[in-house]
Amino acid sequence: MFNSLNRIQNTFGFFTTVAFVLASFIALSDFVTPRAPSAGTIVPESVQVVKGRPHYYSSKKEEYAIVKFSLDASLESLFTWNTKQVFVYVTVEWPEPGADNVTNSAVIWDQIITSPSADHLSNLSPVALRKLKRSAEGKSIDPSRGKLKIKNQKPKYQITHPTGKLAEAEDVRLRLHYSVQPWFGILTFDQESDIGLWKAFKGGVSELFKLPALKKKTTT
Amino acid sequence: MWKGLSVITASPSPIVVVLSGSMEPAFQRGDLLFLWNNPAPDHVGSVVVYEVKDKPIPIVHRIVRKFGTGPDTKLLTKGDNNNADDTELFAKGQDYLGPDDIIGGVVGYIPFVGYVTILLSEYPWLKTAMLGLMGLLVILQRE
Repeated sequence: MFNSLNRIQNTFGFFTTVAFVLASFIALSDFVTPRAPSAGTIVPESVQVVKGRPHYYSSKKEEYAIVKFSLDASLESLFTWNTKQVFVYVTVEWPEPGADNVTNSAVIWDQIITSPSADHLSNLSPVALRKLKRSAEGKSIDPSRGKLKIKNQKPKYQITHPTGKLAEAEDVRLRLHYSVQPWFGILTFDQESDIGLWKAFKGGVSELFKLPALKKKTTT
Repeated sequence: MWKGLSVITASPSPIVVVLSGSMEPAFQRGDLLFLWNNPAPDHVGSVVVYEVKDKPIPIVHRIVRKFGTGPDTKLLTKGDNNNADDTELFAKGQDYLGPDDIIGGVVGYIPFVGYVTILLSEYPWLKTAMLGLMGLLVILQRE
């Protein structure tokens, strides 16, 4: 009965089972690894509201808010052997005027922090990639990459609102978030309360501030 | 089982294969994603699969802006590996996604397993070859 085809089938089947079980154990190991991420400060440095067009050929004029910020955070504990990348992002949140419990939020800045094991996948220039790889030579996990210290960072994205109105919005705040992408398993995010060994994200929210009035046009 | 999974997750297709590199390095082509739509995670930063009217291929991207709540929620998405947001990918005149456009939020991830389906759809002759091979084996095994 055991011809070569059967043998190949059995070997392959056994291989996939073993690989899957092993990967499941690795995925489950996330739950027994404590996480205690925290953020020291996150503060808006300068805030501007300007008028502009969504794209060159648009006749519509909208208000855009540009928020520069500083932050520091320690996310070291998020880097384990199953971490492929941590996506760190800063949102601006503000309540919808005249509506209860409606929060608008928009990402103004994000960064992909790869684990050294995933460096080869990142979309960087060859020089930057070589530098990144060299920074963690011989290591497959590098928690020190989770240490963030960012000063007076320009936003990558401007904020808009569907109504086109933003100036003088009140109760605005910045919030730091993260999203952990595993090699295998479930995607996890910053949490507001403790879940098992994973602590809630401490800090990461700025004081409330107000967006300024519309800035008169300057050449940009 | 597929139907059962569909009911539990409330998603028409609870498991999808990544077809593009727009979410690299998080997702590569061929990776398998498990979706949840009951309700879909729609906070800013979560990764969702959405469908645009008249476009047959669902897209996996991250939510970068969210305005409002409930059925009037307006969402804007962007691929991690793309420079611009998805406004260009939406239907003509559509600026934002609504909750109905979302097929599900990504909750689980298995790398590479779905690559076979990409190979089969990109090289149709593989299907024929595999069928032929199977037929041949059936014949050969009948001692």
